Amino acid sequence: MRALPVVAALVGLALLCPTAPYAQAQTTLKLAPAEPLAFARATSPRAFRLPEDHGPHFEFQTEWWYYTGQLATADERRFGFQLTFFRRGLSPGPPPVAGLATNQIYFAHFALTDVGAGRHASAERLSRGAAGLAGASGQPFRVFVEDWTAVATSPDGASVRVQARNGGLVLDLELRATKALVAHGDRGLSPKSDAPGNASHYVGYTRMSARGRVGTDGTGTPVTGEAWFDHEWSTSALGPLALGWDWFSLQLGEGRELMLFEIRRADGSWEGASGGTLVAQDGRTRRLRSADFEITVLERWRSPHTRADYPARWRLRVPSEGLELDVQPLLSDQEMRTSFVYWEGAVSVIGTSRGRPLTGRGYVELTGYARSMQGVF
Amino acid sequence: MIPNGLLRAGLRDLVRRPLHTGLMLLGVALGVAVVVAIDLANSAARRGFARSSEAVLGRATHQVRGGSAGLPEEVYRRLRVDHGVRPSAPVVEGVVIARDLRQPLRVLGIDPLAEAPFRGHLGAGKLADPAFAAFVTDPSAVLVGAAFAERHGLAPGSSLRVQAGDRRETLRVLGLVESANPEVGRTLDALLLLDVGSAQRLLGMPGRISHVDLVLTDADVRSVARWLPPGARLVRASEQAEAVAELTAAFELNLVALSLLALVVGMFLVYNTVLFGVVQRRAVFGTLRTLGTTPGQLFRLILAETLLTAALGALVGVGLGYVLGQSAVRLVTRTINDLYYVVSVSGAPLTLATAVKGVATGLGAALLAALGPALEAARVEPVTALRPSTFETRARRLVPWLALAGLAVSLLGGAGLALATRSLLVSFAALFGVVLGIALVAPAFTVGLMSILRPAASRLLGPIGRLATGTVARAVSRTGVAAAALMVAVSVTIGVSVMIASFRSTVANWLELTLQADVYVSAPSPGGPRSGVSLSEDVRGLVAAVPGVAEVETVRLVLVPSPLGEVRLTVTGTHERSASRYRFRDADPREAWARVRDGAVIVSEPFAFRHGLPPHGAAVALQTDRGVAQFPVAGVYYDYSTEQGTVLMVREVYERYWDDRALSSVAAYVAPGHDPGAVTDAVRRAVGERALQVVENRALRRAALRVFDRTFAVTQALRVLAVVVAFIGVWSALLALQVERTRELGTLLALGLLPRQLWGLTLVETGLIGLAAGLLSLPTGLALALILIEVINVRSFGWTMQLELPPLVLVQALALSVVAALLAGVYPVLRLQRMSVAAALRQE
Repeated sequence: MRALPVVAALVGLALLCPTAPYAQAQTTLKLAPAEPLAFARATSPRAFRLPEDHGPHFEFQTEWWYYTGQLATADERRFGFQLTFFRRGLSPGPPPVAGLATNQIYFAHFALTDVGAGRHASAERLSRGAAGLAGASGQPFRVFVEDWTAVATSPDGASVRVQARNGGLVLDLELRATKALVAHGDRGLSPKSDAPGNASHYVGYTRMSARGRVGTDGTGTPVTGEAWFDHEWSTSALGPLALGWDWFSLQLGEGRELMLFEIRRADGSWEGASGGTLVAQDGRTRRLRSADFEITVLERWRSPHTRADYPARWRLRVPSEGLELDVQPLLSDQEMRTSFVYWEGAVSVIGTSRGRPLTGRGYVELTGYARSMQGVF
Repeated sequence: MIPNGLLRAGLRDLVRRPLHTGLMLLGVALGVAVVVAIDLANSAARRGFARSSEAVLGRATHQVRGGSAGLPEEVYRRLRVDHGVRPSAPVVEGVVIARDLRQPLRVLGIDPLAEAPFRGHLGAGKLADPAFAAFVTDPSAVLVGAAFAERHGLAPGSSLRVQAGDRRETLRVLGLVESANPEVGRTLDALLLLDVGSAQRLLGMPGRISHVDLVLTDADVRSVARWLPPGARLVRASEQAEAVAELTAAFELNLVALSLLALVVGMFLVYNTVLFGVVQRRAVFGTLRTLGTTPGQLFRLILAETLLTAALGALVGVGLGYVLGQSAVRLVTRTINDLYYVVSVSGAPLTLATAVKGVATGLGAALLAALGPALEAARVEPVTALRPSTFETRARRLVPWLALAGLAVSLLGGAGLALATRSLLVSFAALFGVVLGIALVAPAFTVGLMSILRPAASRLLGPIGRLATGTVARAVSRTGVAAAALMVAVSVTIGVSVMIASFRSTVANWLELTLQADVYVSAPSPGGPRSGVSLSEDVRGLVAAVPGVAEVETVRLVLVPSPLGEVRLTVTGTHERSASRYRFRDADPREAWARVRDGAVIVSEPFAFRHGLPPHGAAVALQTDRGVAQFPVAGVYYDYSTEQGTVLMVREVYERYWDDRALSSVAAYVAPGHDPGAVTDAVRRAVGERALQVVENRALRRAALRVFDRTFAVTQALRVLAVVVAFIGVWSALLALQVERTRELGTLLALGLLPRQLWGLTLVETGLIGLAAGLLSLPTGLALALILIEVINVRSFGWTMQLELPPLVLVQALALSVVAALLAGVYPVLRLQRMSVAAALRQE
């Protein structure tokens, strides 16, 4: 579950732009009332067809393709990366084919954590889905925002090349799924609140091998590692009281993967729809309900930039599986200060599985700490 | 210094002679008013343009521009995606006509996602989610300025019917943009803000954009320029605006010159009244001199009095100018919209700069005019002051010298015209020199004319004739000035009328020659090709299929960039008939046309003039979609469609170099045996779906001449004003004359002159002055017309005109000056009649 503030970004980018305060102070806009848009809702499980379902689902309003992972150079320099593509439909249905007219907005976030140097850098791109500026397709699978791209290198879309560059920041990886596609939730239907329709279709590759180059010097260094891919689409996903969410994607050393998310309410309680997936070595999945796990925050970190107060270390328990995991960020400051502020960072895992020690790696996303996610989508 | 008592006496005098003070005030006020009105109109138009270009430019430092059909949007993608040039934003611009408001509106198509660094002030970046979706996805959604919306009763949700090219569209007002900053608010006037995709559709530019806006450092400039494909070029953002603003420079200068003419006539008025004040108070000044007042003090006194009155007059003039300016701005804006570009001017607010300029000009002119009389006052001797006729004696002695000086000034002006071949400013100065010089000759001419006429007048009218000619000649200090003022005004009338008549008949002939087809189909395009209006592709076929249409020709009018600046390019068919349609200045039509078909171009006369093309072997470099290409010039042809000048090539050549396939107009020839009117109606029915103008050539000619007449409306208005000022000048001069002669006339009345004879005497005198002015104004007016046609016009616009001399104009001019003079004589006589003989005799 990784919904991001698509709309806020659209408007926010304009407002956060360095020259915008002038505009903000000066201009007001009086608008005609808008009619509600008739997007499809995720209400029941569906069959997935590849590679088409890797592509965009224009009947839904919001969609994202999320690549995260941890990499290392030959001399054990460690990196974490995030490359995310977001699609926002402004009206249901595919975009017009001609000219710059469109009903699709795309944006993308790119971040690199240089663990050794203790640095986290991020960037953002925003473009209309027209004229080759940004877009997505399923056959062959491809999603791109300007010069940041993810392109299938195999017909089924299980292998992709992801590329992004911003200033000296470079990422160029060949990713290969080493496990079958996972359908999260109920056969891919992932509810976000108790209300029907507040759900998404959610699939992904929980383990992909990664090989390529990353770096901050403009050329990059050869790296290998493992990545995680999420693809999720929905129209309305947050319940009325939800504030944001904490989301975990962990790859455990023994060959299993654990995805957990909790949706946080303003009063501090959690949505009952919170849940997760445990993926076995052989790719079989077990759906976890909120009652199946518990998350304890052990430390907190206050961002010196935004004053947002984030949880910064956790203990995760899945008693039925005998899992007890300590999750710790590789770097405290992995805050994404893009047009919408959130925390997304590489973490390490130490713990036990039915008493046997294990380690692992992963990514954690924390939203709604700098500002409520409510009204964002 | 002027002693306090003297100054007070002077001021008292101003108050005691309200009529003359009022006249002086009026002279200054009218002159200043015309100057202010024109300045207001010009600067309002300039400001309107600056505002609209600001709105479009935003914070861009550079733009990537393409050819006539804009840029392929791929250029933007390559810049932004492949080369990472950010910030960058695509812009689609154009003009549509608001059908209900009957007003052209500028269309600005933007990408709100790429916009913020450029035009944050226009508010598109502030769209909230649902409105944002509508703005981008609804092709009819537009944002408009709040003030504009209020003026036209638009609200969020209202529909706005527009005509874009030949299509009628209904747009929906999605929202109103309101800015706390009034400057920003004004940039939004008559502006439609659309999503760039919607603008492409509205303006019929699929896959193309007008330009890409960039914010570049100097270092970036070179690398960006390197990446551009051949059809695109990188320009400084301000360059475009400067080029467009230059278009109207000559037009504005002409208006300014005409307004200064009004000021000159106003100066005569000031001169007259000040001189009158001096002459009347000669005795007082003589006494003052004997009491110890120095000549310098008297000199300064006259200047101080003038300054005071002129200051008051200038203030009144600024107010009057403001009122006149509101009409002038409409006339000027309409002309600019007709001929140059679309500019929205909502009014002509009085700026401090204009007011100061007006007052300073008025004061300067008044002081200059008062210089002579002030010197006269300073020259008053204690003894001679007691002799009333001193001044006239000296004036009469001065007349020949004045005439000589006038001739010299005229010759100097003529030399200036001949030598300064390119500077328009020098040309105008020289023109003023010529007119002023002839004005200085006017007194001598008047005196001379009187001695010629005296025998005839005596024979015809008896003593009254003799008396009248004698008086006019003797009182030359005022009759000469009156004649000069009248002469200047009337000759301006002649000059301008002859110029306009010549221009008009030249244009009419040219239209006859050029518009040979029978039916013309085009889309309304305010501001000419700048608005980028084009016909839908199928129009040519629709017209050709109409029964009775023998042949169809197409014309494309575009603006293309070139090293010479923006160039108007006319693209026509290769048809053999075309050769006969263009008259060449110095080339054989058949030969030139053959070269045009081989890839050469022909250029219009103003174009050749503007860019100083050599008569032979010239070439024009144009930015094509394949890069810059050189086109040899096969000839210079006469064309009056635009003062910017135009380059003409045939379609085959155009299509080799440009991707643009759109049409601006379609012309159809009617087959023999068919009625053009009926075919026109059939064409109209055939294209009925579209909002096209379908006109027969006669109607088109009429329409063209209407635009011509509209262009000269300001000129005509100024001419009338000059005459009004001159009339008041003559009137005041005659009044002064009569007042001065009150005693003399009183004596005559006492000796038995009948009131009827008094009328006769006065009217003969004024008629003679009018006659002198009228006679002198004929050659002067013709000279003026020649200078306007052969020099000013050529140097402003580069047009050749055939001099057309409507005899009626000359007769009218003569009649005008005599009637004006006669009318001016009526009030003085009435005034005299009301006075008893005794009172008249008591004068002095």
